[in-house]
Amino acid sequence: MTDTTQTFFEHLAQRGYEPLLHSISGTVRWDIVDEGSWFVVVKNGSLSVDRDMAGADCMFVCSREDFDRMVVGKQNPITLYMQGKMKITGDARLAQMFQRLFPDESLSGGEQARKRGNEHE
Amino acid sequence: MSDKTISVLEGNNFVVSDLRGDIDASPTETQGLFAWDTRFLSRWLLTVDGQRPNVLSTDDLDYFYVQFFLVPGTGTIYVDADLSIMRKRAVGDGFHEDLTILNHKDKPVDLKVRMEAGADFADLFEVKDALKKKGEFYHRIERDRLVLGYRRDNFTRETVIAPSAKADIDEHGLSFAVHIEPHGEWTTCLNVVTGSIGFGEYREETTYGHGDQRARSNVKMSLKKAGEAIPRLSSDWPFLQVTYNRSIIDMAALRFYPMMLPGQALPAAGLPWFMTLFGRDSMIASYQALPFGSNLAVATLRALALRQGTRIDDFRDEEPGKIIHEVRFGEMTAFEERPHSPYYGAADVTPFFLILLDEVERWTGNAELVRQLEMEARAALRWIDEYGDRNGDGYVEYARRNQQTGLENQCWKDSWNSILFADGTLSRLPRATCEIQGYVYDAKMRSARLAREFWNDPALAERLESQAAELKRRFNQDFWLADRQFFALAIDGDGRKVDSLTSNIGHLLWSGIVDQDKADAIVGHLMGPRLYSGWGVRTMAEGEGGYNPIGYHVGTVWPHDNSFIAIGLRRYGYREEAARVAMNMLEAATYFKGRLPEAFAGYARELTEFPVEYPTACSPQAWASGAPLLLLRAILGLEPIGDHLIVDPAIPSMLGQIELLDIPGRWGRIDAFGRGRVDISAVEARLQPVTAKVVAQ
Repeated sequence: MTDTTQTFFEHLAQRGYEPLLHSISGTVRWDIVDEGSWFVVVKNGSLSVDRDMAGADCMFVCSREDFDRMVVGKQNPITLYMQGKMKITGDARLAQMFQRLFPDESLSGGEQARKRGNEHE
Repeated sequence: MSDKTISVLEGNNFVVSDLRGDIDASPTETQGLFAWDTRFLSRWLLTVDGQRPNVLSTDDLDYFYVQFFLVPGTGTIYVDADLSIMRKRAVGDGFHEDLTILNHKDKPVDLKVRMEAGADFADLFEVKDALKKKGEFYHRIERDRLVLGYRRDNFTRETVIAPSAKADIDEHGLSFAVHIEPHGEWTTCLNVVTGSIGFGEYREETTYGHGDQRARSNVKMSLKKAGEAIPRLSSDWPFLQVTYNRSIIDMAALRFYPMMLPGQALPAAGLPWFMTLFGRDSMIASYQALPFGSNLAVATLRALALRQGTRIDDFRDEEPGKIIHEVRFGEMTAFEERPHSPYYGAADVTPFFLILLDEVERWTGNAELVRQLEMEARAALRWIDEYGDRNGDGYVEYARRNQQTGLENQCWKDSWNSILFADGTLSRLPRATCEIQGYVYDAKMRSARLAREFWNDPALAERLESQAAELKRRFNQDFWLADRQFFALAIDGDGRKVDSLTSNIGHLLWSGIVDQDKADAIVGHLMGPRLYSGWGVRTMAEGEGGYNPIGYHVGTVWPHDNSFIAIGLRRYGYREEAARVAMNMLEAATYFKGRLPEAFAGYARELTEFPVEYPTACSPQAWASGAPLLLLRAILGLEPIGDHLIVDPAIPSMLGQIELLDIPGRWGRIDAFGRGRVDISAVEARLQPVTAKVVAQ
């Protein structure tokens, strides 16, 4: 079984640059319950990933199950937050931009699966 | 007893109560304390010795502050009261209420004072549609406060009610055993805090405390600041001043501060139900306000850029590069029973984003903003061609992806039955409405300038200009109804021209997509008796099958619509006609104490003699408040050219002399003067009823 969580961050590190985040810089910390922490450093769209860093500008906390659902395009990050299942603290603008990285296209099975509306039909 | 309500608010936090200050929500009474699109109090009833008080007077001194002066209920008001009851309420993160009772007798009194409290935690959408809750309610009585709560999975909302005086607290409210000496008084604070768990900060305190001398709200601050910074207007016609002041104050009150842009305000769509970011309303209002200040427009562009679509999402009607329609924060949005997280169901707002970006630069010279938003602007341009034009015919058409809860009409006339044929039948989706093609033309022309001057991309500029020219050429053929001499409202899913005569043709003048040789005919229709009510241009012409003078988008007159028509008339050189539209709309405003409603009935002016307000839930509405501002621009002929502001007045004679001092922009500050020389009655006399010319094919 592929580790979806791990793969998501590996793909971010491989991607190196994401134009959708071109206007933002800062460190994002993800605390995934029972999985541990990941740090993503964003510098005007360039991305690097670390497992261990001192501080962060913005922190997300959620369960692994919910995280993986976001990665594969089955859960919208904004409504997960609104439902109270994901905590976000710190820089709201950075958080808003970071959610653009979901889903991971290679894990979500192409464009059809990315259409979130499928769950509502 | 009272059928009137009073609203006070700060940001998206508002209280709708009756004139006593009581909240008693029912399916027909949409009262309550609301925050983040949730009702945190649906019941807040004061009784003294079991009786509800009577109202002496109510003063809403400020947008966020209200006082209620009451006397005990006696069954009749013709009895001299020997007690006075005062409630002072300040809204902000809930509200703080000071309840004071004065004893005017020379004997002590003992009273049972009771405040009933209840919270249904209804989502705004549930309030409108009277839906049932899916989660569970709970309450806690803590030592000195009552906590009312609602839980659905991890979604939790709590209302914390804390009195300062000693109270017996039960799950339905607070009881006070009050003893007041002769000529004495008793008082308690009531703090009602809207706490949310798992969303935003959990607040422990209201913004304002008892007798808070620091009492300052975002609204109040910005009102004061707005008064200092905006241009000063004077006119020989005093009502113009009244309307101008009303617009400026209302625009300030409509400001809200999005979480993601600390300290930056942008206009919400309307008070109180639409205190949220709307792509269309927020951009239109900030466009209208540009000659008077650019901060709203800059903040709106930034907020919309942050929310720009990045993926395909049927439920939200989201597509890469698309600008949002509306954001909401309530339970139904959280659980995806409504798509507003955010919702992208609007086809006109993405080109409008480009138009506003260019217009801001023209006024302010803010090149940095244009460079910062280059990626977003390019994404918006790609959206127009790749997603907006769904079938590759060169026009932007819309059809909702979300078949259950999406909007059927994704243009400004967004009621489901707005796009009708002349025989009154409904057109089919997808629909390419004419004004959206105008916006696209304008957006591409303006983006070409930005590409050339700021993005160092002359190839893109050329490509956009040639696309725009081709669009204009084809549009003037494909949308033109030669037999009726105007542009079709839309081309529908069957490729048919939707042939109703509507106000949309006025927007085409604003965009510049109309061939010069067709302008006379368009203006003739706009000024003619079928479209022109005497107060303004109707959304749909009298005589069309779907026309209804009190139909939301099919016959009413909308001030914002008319303000864009007036600017369009100026663009094509119809100075006197623009002055007429402005004058009649400003006259209409006098019937509303300077506050134009969102819409009024399309009845002919001779018939009713005064404009009949269309009953809408919100007042003020941002784009209606912005309409007089854009009309002022139209009659003063304000146009930024390079580093200069051109002033070319065409002012109705009734307005006399107008001075607008300290107009801000890239030139610093400039004054504009003009004397009323346009005789409106001469324009009216010259008008002949428009008869259809038959043009040989």
